[in-house]
Amino acid sequence: MEILVCVKRVPDTAENEIAVKADGTDIVRDDVVYSVNEWDNYAVEEAIQIRDNVGGTVTVVSVGDEESEEIIRREMAMGADKGVLLSDAAFEGSDGLGVATILKSFVDKGKYDLILTGALADDGAGQVGGMLAALLDLPYASVVNKIEVKGDKLLVGREIEGGNQEMNEISLPCVLSIQTGINEPRYVGIRGIRKVASLEIPCDGKDACGLDAGVVGAAGSKVKRLTYFVPELGEGAEMIEGSTEEQVEKVIEILKAKGGIK
Amino acid sequence: MALTLADRRDQQFVLNEQLKIGELCEAELYCDLNTKTFDLLLNEARNLAVKELLATFKESDQIGAVLEDGAVKVPPSFHRAYKLFCEGEWLTVSDDTEVGGQGMPCVLGAATLELFAGANLAFSIYAMLGHGAGKLYEIFGTPEQKKLFLPNVYSGKWGGTMCLTEPSAGSDVGALTTTAVKNDDGTYSISGTKIFISAGDHDMVENIIHPVLARIEGDAPGTGGISIFIVPKIWVNEDGSLGEQNDVECVRIEEKMGIHGSATCVLSFGAKGKCRGFLLGQERQGMKIMFHMMNEERLNVGVQGLAGASAAYANAVNYARERLQSRNILKSRDPEAPQVPIIEHPDVRRMLLQMKAYVDGLRSLNYYVGLCMDRARISRSDDDKVKYQGLVDLMTPICKAYSTDKGCFVAQEAIQIYGGYGYTQEYPVEQIYRDTKITTIYEGTNGIQAMDLLGRKLGMNKGQVFIDFLGQINQTVMEAKKIDSLAEMAAKVDEAANKLGKTAMVLGKAARSEQVLAAFANAYGFMESMGDVILGWMHLWRAVVAHPALEKAAKGRDIAQAVASSKDAAFYDGQIKTARFFINTMLPLALGRMDAVMAMESAAVDIADGSFGS
Repeated sequence: MEILVCVKRVPDTAENEIAVKADGTDIVRDDVVYSVNEWDNYAVEEAIQIRDNVGGTVTVVSVGDEESEEIIRREMAMGADKGVLLSDAAFEGSDGLGVATILKSFVDKGKYDLILTGALADDGAGQVGGMLAALLDLPYASVVNKIEVKGDKLLVGREIEGGNQEMNEISLPCVLSIQTGINEPRYVGIRGIRKVASLEIPCDGKDACGLDAGVVGAAGSKVKRLTYFVPELGEGAEMIEGSTEEQVEKVIEILKAKGGIK
Repeated sequence: MALTLADRRDQQFVLNEQLKIGELCEAELYCDLNTKTFDLLLNEARNLAVKELLATFKESDQIGAVLEDGAVKVPPSFHRAYKLFCEGEWLTVSDDTEVGGQGMPCVLGAATLELFAGANLAFSIYAMLGHGAGKLYEIFGTPEQKKLFLPNVYSGKWGGTMCLTEPSAGSDVGALTTTAVKNDDGTYSISGTKIFISAGDHDMVENIIHPVLARIEGDAPGTGGISIFIVPKIWVNEDGSLGEQNDVECVRIEEKMGIHGSATCVLSFGAKGKCRGFLLGQERQGMKIMFHMMNEERLNVGVQGLAGASAAYANAVNYARERLQSRNILKSRDPEAPQVPIIEHPDVRRMLLQMKAYVDGLRSLNYYVGLCMDRARISRSDDDKVKYQGLVDLMTPICKAYSTDKGCFVAQEAIQIYGGYGYTQEYPVEQIYRDTKITTIYEGTNGIQAMDLLGRKLGMNKGQVFIDFLGQINQTVMEAKKIDSLAEMAAKVDEAANKLGKTAMVLGKAARSEQVLAAFANAYGFMESMGDVILGWMHLWRAVVAHPALEKAAKGRDIAQAVASSKDAAFYDGQIKTARFFINTMLPLALGRMDAVMAMESAAVDIADGSFGS
């Protein structure tokens, strides 16, 4: 099975104190540690497992600046077979539709049975997977937490509201957005790192993608972020005091009382 | 944000900016690697350390290793961590690819160990010993022995240990009583008891291949008569399959102050008369061979000391930022003034900066020695090989003793930062302190290291190694003197280095005279002083690198303004401030200590045993 996984380089929320710039245009990116978007990492793991079961190749693609090469390399060290960076000054500032358009241009040049994206990104809006499917006119399932290959179809589980689950049959080729928890992503070992050490990651710009600068990037964006801010603290928060054990007990008590756990 | 392991930014600074390890890739040995690979490697090591090894930290202490029915069980969480550790092949980061290693520079071996040991020191011991034993088999084993043991030891499928110590033979290894008797089939029957054997038995591996020091019957007493044997826990047949139990029994594990997750075993060899081993290397070469492992482990233990310090500091600085207590000293009379985070109090800042100075300095020192190992590996000229290997040998006792002394000091200060909470088990720093304390003792006590420095290392190659070492410091001093704002600090490091040279002369001369006992009674003071001078050098070096980087990060702005708005600028300014603190407030203490060493006070050896008190 030819599988394409779309990945994104994002600020690592476990490693950074995210602060908003004073002018509200963005977060402070000076010295921020980046990593592969967590959801995308689950998608790559799923792709590797499917390939290992039924054969084929896993290609990883990312739209981003040249630094995004590092996450492509990382996912290849994890086990993906190929990696491509889609990068061009003209791509900067793309909205969700813009990113989906860039990805579509890449998909059109290949032949993929299955395209995976993360369900959302730490800094995103959870829209690229669905838009990409629509642009490609392919079936789409979102928030997928289980995949089983059944010939030219897939059985896919979806997580739905309230912790409920549904199973769907979906025809290939298709696009799926992957939920965390679908698998346990493997750690990257040194052997994998060595394997990709001297690989050149190909980079396609707007010309290679056959895209007009007017339809992508800031110029083509119809969604523009106006401001970025941390909301003011509201009322009603209860601060729990005491030792760790006491705090845990209290949290369990509250969760039980409010029906969060049985 | 709780960042409880080695500071990522500082690790990258030392590797990429101070030591410029990317230059190693110019050598044929590392030509297929690059800095991106190194960064990725360190990221993934951190990933494993934070997500898996750190998760075993508490259980390691609370459950610990237990001996049940003659077999040792590690804390349950260790199994998953060890499996993932071995799958990632982190056991052999910098070993040659031909023998199953990953072929990365040694300096990265140190950097990854800082992360792993910082996450769980007790866990790191199993890996360190497995690797160290494997190294002996790699270097000294026959082709058959290598084939039989090396792949499984280096993959972590089988474990390793270091069987030296006996009840009456601790620091005095020559007094050991374990015996070996040659059998008709060329193997040796081993009989004796070894104590304090870390990883001596455990259930993460299917077999353990012990390197065991023993005396062949009839051989001379003392270290010269000692041989070394490969003794499998379970016999390994010629075809590699496992045979019978080899009469190696764990009869007890120690109840210890810390590193509870590490099984410290009393091992009985041949109590039932059925323990066999293979001779490793030549007869009576045991100590020489074991020294290879000891030197490796001494450097590793130095990194463990650094790891304890860096984890303790990371916790303490986070806590000091969050813990509200007392008013700002300038508003102490204003009852309306709010409580402030304790990091605002001058004495807390003094403690934190002292801790930071040790952590950063030790990181530079330990990684630098790793880099020297790489330089010795890749140098084309024999002179350079000898020079870099000499630097490694000279600084090994400093890495071991100074890093672990200061590692414990930093962990102790971390408890102080937390106050009463730090003394409780609710916070991790008391465990870090207890776990780190062993590092000043095992692999040759720090006192032994000071004696090794004076007795064996200072005079190496007629003192040329020490002169080369001072030359390295001088290079940094010269660079620093070119920068006006660093010239004063450069002069102070220069003065301290010159004084260290003089002290070495005086002490070395005394050691060869009738003052020999007084000289060894002052060896520790010299070791500490040399450590202080090296840290002064490392901080000056950091400042030399940080100075232009700070100007660049400031982008023409006033430095204070840049520091307030840019993490990069704050980082580089932090380097210069830390250098200022260390060189101006801590290094001067070494000058006084060196005066004391040169005075060669002999009271410690003159005082009668009875005068120590009843």
